[in-house]
Amino acid sequence: MKLFSFRALADVAWGVALAASCGIALAQEEPKVLNVYNWSDYIAEDTLKNFEKETGIKVRYDNFDSNEILHAKLVAGKTGYDIVVPSSNWAKIQIDGGLLAKLDKALIPNLANVDAETAGQIAKLDPGNQHLVVWLWGYTTVGINVDKVKAALGSMPMPDNAWDLVFKPEYISKMKSCGVSFLDSPSEIFPAALHYLGKPAFSKQTSDYQEASRMLQAIRPYVTLFSSSGYINDMANGSICLALGWSGDISIARQRAIDGKTGNKIEVLIPKTGGILFFDTMAIPVDAPHPKNAHAFINYILKPEVHASLTNKVFYANPNAQSTKFVKKEVAENPTVFLSAENKKKMIAPDAVNNDIRRLSTRLYTQFKTGL
Amino acid sequence: MNKLLARLMPNNPGRAVVIGVPYLWLVLFFLLPFLIVLKISVSEMNVGQPPFKPLTEMVDNFLNIRVYLGNFISLFDVANDDLYARTYLSSLKYAAWTTIFCLVIGFPFAYFMARARPTIRPALLMLVMMPFWTSFLLRVYAWKAILTTNGVFNQILIGLGIIGEPLHMLHTPFSLMIGMVYVYLPFMILPLYANLVKLDGRLLEAAADLGATPWQRFWLVTVPLSKSGIIAGSMLVFIPCVGEFVIPELLGGPETLMIGRVLWDELFSNNDWPRAAAVAVVTILLIIVPLAIFNKYQAESQGERT
Amino acid sequence: MSTRPNWFGRGWLAAGYFFLYIPIVLLIVFSFNESRQDVVWRGFTLNWYRALIDDKEIIEGAILSLKIAFLTGILSVILGTFAAFVLVRYKRFLGRTAFSGMVNAPLVMPEVIVGLSLLLLLVSLQNTAAFSWLNRGMFTILIGHALLGMAYATVVVQSRLQEMDRSIEEAAMDLGCRPGQVFFLVTLPNITQALMSAFLLTFTISLDDVVISQLLSGPGSSTMPIVIFSRARLGLDPRVNAVATITIVVVTIAVIASSLYLARSERRRQKEISAAFSAEAAS
Repeated sequence: MKLFSFRALADVAWGVALAASCGIALAQEEPKVLNVYNWSDYIAEDTLKNFEKETGIKVRYDNFDSNEILHAKLVAGKTGYDIVVPSSNWAKIQIDGGLLAKLDKALIPNLANVDAETAGQIAKLDPGNQHLVVWLWGYTTVGINVDKVKAALGSMPMPDNAWDLVFKPEYISKMKSCGVSFLDSPSEIFPAALHYLGKPAFSKQTSDYQEASRMLQAIRPYVTLFSSSGYINDMANGSICLALGWSGDISIARQRAIDGKTGNKIEVLIPKTGGILFFDTMAIPVDAPHPKNAHAFINYILKPEVHASLTNKVFYANPNAQSTKFVKKEVAENPTVFLSAENKKKMIAPDAVNNDIRRLSTRLYTQFKTGL
Repeated sequence: MNKLLARLMPNNPGRAVVIGVPYLWLVLFFLLPFLIVLKISVSEMNVGQPPFKPLTEMVDNFLNIRVYLGNFISLFDVANDDLYARTYLSSLKYAAWTTIFCLVIGFPFAYFMARARPTIRPALLMLVMMPFWTSFLLRVYAWKAILTTNGVFNQILIGLGIIGEPLHMLHTPFSLMIGMVYVYLPFMILPLYANLVKLDGRLLEAAADLGATPWQRFWLVTVPLSKSGIIAGSMLVFIPCVGEFVIPELLGGPETLMIGRVLWDELFSNNDWPRAAAVAVVTILLIIVPLAIFNKYQAESQGERT
Repeated sequence: MSTRPNWFGRGWLAAGYFFLYIPIVLLIVFSFNESRQDVVWRGFTLNWYRALIDDKEIIEGAILSLKIAFLTGILSVILGTFAAFVLVRYKRFLGRTAFSGMVNAPLVMPEVIVGLSLLLLLVSLQNTAAFSWLNRGMFTILIGHALLGMAYATVVVQSRLQEMDRSIEEAAMDLGCRPGQVFFLVTLPNITQALMSAFLLTFTISLDDVVISQLLSGPGSSTMPIVIFSRARLGLDPRVNAVATITIVVVTIAVIASSLYLARSERRRQKEISAAFSAEAAS
C-alpha cells in the first residue's frame, strides 16, 4: 500500500512537471508552422517561399473555391487553420457568430500601409477593423468578348449601362448563340440583380427577392453556363462571349487570350450604376493553433512589395497604399483593376444577410437555375 | 452481465477478437455517426457554433427532450414546396436510366467476355478494371473535353462533314447520362461476368437440342440463370447513382438537379445542418427500404429452394 | 464452351472497350499538347512534364493521395478479412444481424452522407475534452476511406471464403495446428488473390474520392483530387494530364507485374500439388 501511494504521488508530480514545462514552452514559442486556407489561385508563386525564408515558419497552404465551403468548415469548428480568407460580408456573419479572433494590432505594424478608404469600407462590417485585414478586393461585374458581342448586337448600340447586357432580355437574348456564363452562386447573382432593379443589393425584404427572381426567370433561357470556375478559360478561348463574373477573373481571361494569341479581345466593363464590391479578408479563427504566426503572416502580406506581387499575378486590387510603385505598369494603369475615384464612388458596398434571406435566395436561385 | 459476456466470447478469446475488432470499428465509425445524423435531423437550426440546438436541456431539474420534426415535415410539404419531392424523383429517374443503359450495354459485353477463349479472359477482365486505376475525376474531365462545343467529338463530326454547326452536348441530360454510364459500367460488367462465366454451357446445348432458337435460348436459359448477377450489378449501379454528386456537378446541365446537390446546398449554402441531416436520413430510407424488402424476398425464395 | 463470340460479339466488345478507353487515351494525348486552355491539338511538347517538377502542390497532393490510398488498402483489407471471416464462419453470435447490416451499409450510403456523418462525429468528438487534441487531416480522411473500403473488401473476401474448401483447414486441425496457425498457414494463402484484388479495389476507391476527403480534410491534407477540384477555377492545364499519365504508366506496370507474379506462383503451387500427388502415388 505504501509503495502504491508513493508511486501515485510520483506520477502526479511527474504529470505536473510535464504540464508545467509544456505550458511554459507553449507560452514562449509556437511551433514554426502556419496553416493557411485561401481561395484557389489567389497568390503569387513566390509569396509562401519568401515568407518561409524570412520567418522560418513552414506554411501549409490549402484552397477552397466558395465562401460557403469555408463558412461550413468554420461553423463545424476546429478547422486547424490559422489564416482564413472569407469575403467581408461572410466574415461579418462569422464575427457575429464568434468564430473569428480579435487581432493584436501591436503585432502587425504594417497595418499602417492599409489605405484609409478601404479600412473605412471594412469598418462598416467590422467596427474598428478589429478582426479583418483585406487580402485583395474586386467587384462582380460584366465581362465581354468585344468583337463577338458587337457582332451579336448587330445594329443595336452597346447599352449605356453594362448590367443591361446580362439582365435585359432584348440584349442577352442576342448573346445566347455566342455563349453566356453566370457565376454559380445565389450570393453573387442576387445582389447584382437587386441592384439592377434599383433595390438595395443586400436587401432584407423578401418581396425584393421575389421581384428579382421574376426578372431572372425572364432571362434564364439565354444563360448557357453556370460556373464560378470554368468561365475564365471559356472566355479566353472564345466559347463564352458574355460573363457575369469577377473583375480580376475576367482580366485573367483577357491576359490569357493575349498570351495565347487566340485573337479574342476580352474586356471588363464597369457598369454605369456600379458593380458589387467584394473584399476578401484575412482573419484568424478563434481556435487557431498558431495565432502568433498568423499575425506574422498578415504583417508579411501587408509589405508593399508583397501585396503588389499578389495584384500583379491575379489582377485584383490591393488595399496597400504603399504598394503602387511595385505594381507592374500595365496592371497599375488598368482602370478596371485600380478604380478611379469616380468609379469607386459608384461601387456598391457588400453587406451581410440573415439566415432566412439566405435560405430564400438559395431556394429562388435553384428555381432560377433548374426551373424547379 | 457474466452471461452476456459468456455469450459474447464463448470459450475462445481469439474468436472474441475476430468479432470484436470489426464490430468496434463499425460501431464507432458507422453506427455512432449515423445516430448523430439522426439526432441532428430532429434538432432545430441555430446560428453559430454548433449550428443546431441541443435536443436535451435541464428545465427545473427535469430533463426535457425536444424532438423537432419540422425538418422532415418541410421535406414532404409538397403543397408548400415540392423541390425535395421532385429532386428525389429525378434522382431516382436518372439512377434508373443509368442502370438500364448499363445493363443493356453491359449484359452483352459480359456475355461475350464469358464466351471468349479461357486464355484471354483474364486479360479481358483486366482491361475492364484498368480504367479504375486512372483518377475518376480526370476521366470525367476528359469527357468534358470530348463533349464541349469545340471539343473532340464536334471536331470529328465537323471534319467528317456530318454536321455543319457544332452540337451542344455538354451540360445536358445527354452528357450526364454518358458520364454516369461511363463511370458505373464496370460495376455492372464485373458481377455479370462472374455469374455468366460459371454458366453451364451444356444447358444451352440441351436447349438447342430440344429445338430452341438462339433467341429463345438467351431469354429462357441464359437470362434466368444469370438473374442474381443482373440483380447484383443493378444494385451496384443504382444505389450509388441516387446519391451521386460529382458527375452531375461536372457534366450535368443546370436543370439536372439531384439529391446530392440539394444536400450539399442545405449544408453549405444554407448552413442548415438539421435540414441536411433530414435529407440524408430520407435518402437512406429511400435506398434501404426497397433493399431490405428485396433481401427478405430473396432469403425466402432461397429458403423455399433448399 | 461451344459458342465463341461471333463478329457481332467481337464488335460489341470492341465498342465497349473503345467507350471505356477513349477518355483515357485523350487524357494521355493532351498531356503532350502545346496549348494550355483548349482541346485543339497545337503541337507536341514535353513542357507540362517539366513544369510538373516545380509544382509542389500537385506533387505533394499526389504523394499524400498515394499514402492515404495505400494505408486505406491495408486497413480495409485487414478489417474486411476479419468481417468476412466473422460473416462466413461464425453463424451465431450476439448481434449478428446488426453486424451484417452495418458491414454492408456503407455500400448503399451516398458518399456525401458517409462524409457528412463522419464529419459530425468528428466535430462532436473534438468538442469533448478527451478528444480536443484530435485534428482533422490525413488521419480522418483515412478513417472515412477505410469505412467505405472495408465494406468493399468484405464483399470480395467473403465470396472467396465461401467458395473455399474447408476440408483442408479441417485436415490441418486434425494434424494438430492451432486455429491461429490454421488461419495463417492454410486459410490466408488460399485467399491471397482475393486479398490482392480487395487491396487494389480499396486503393483505387481511396485514390478517386473527392467528397469524403473534402468534408474531412484539415490543414495540409489536400489530396490530389482536392487539388484538381480547386484548380478547376482557372481551368485545368495539361500538368494535371501529365500527372495522370504518369500514374497510368506506373499503375499499369504494377498491375501487369503483380498479375504475372500471381499467375506464376499459382502455376508453381499447382506444380507442387501435382508433384506431391505423384510422389504419393509413387510411394
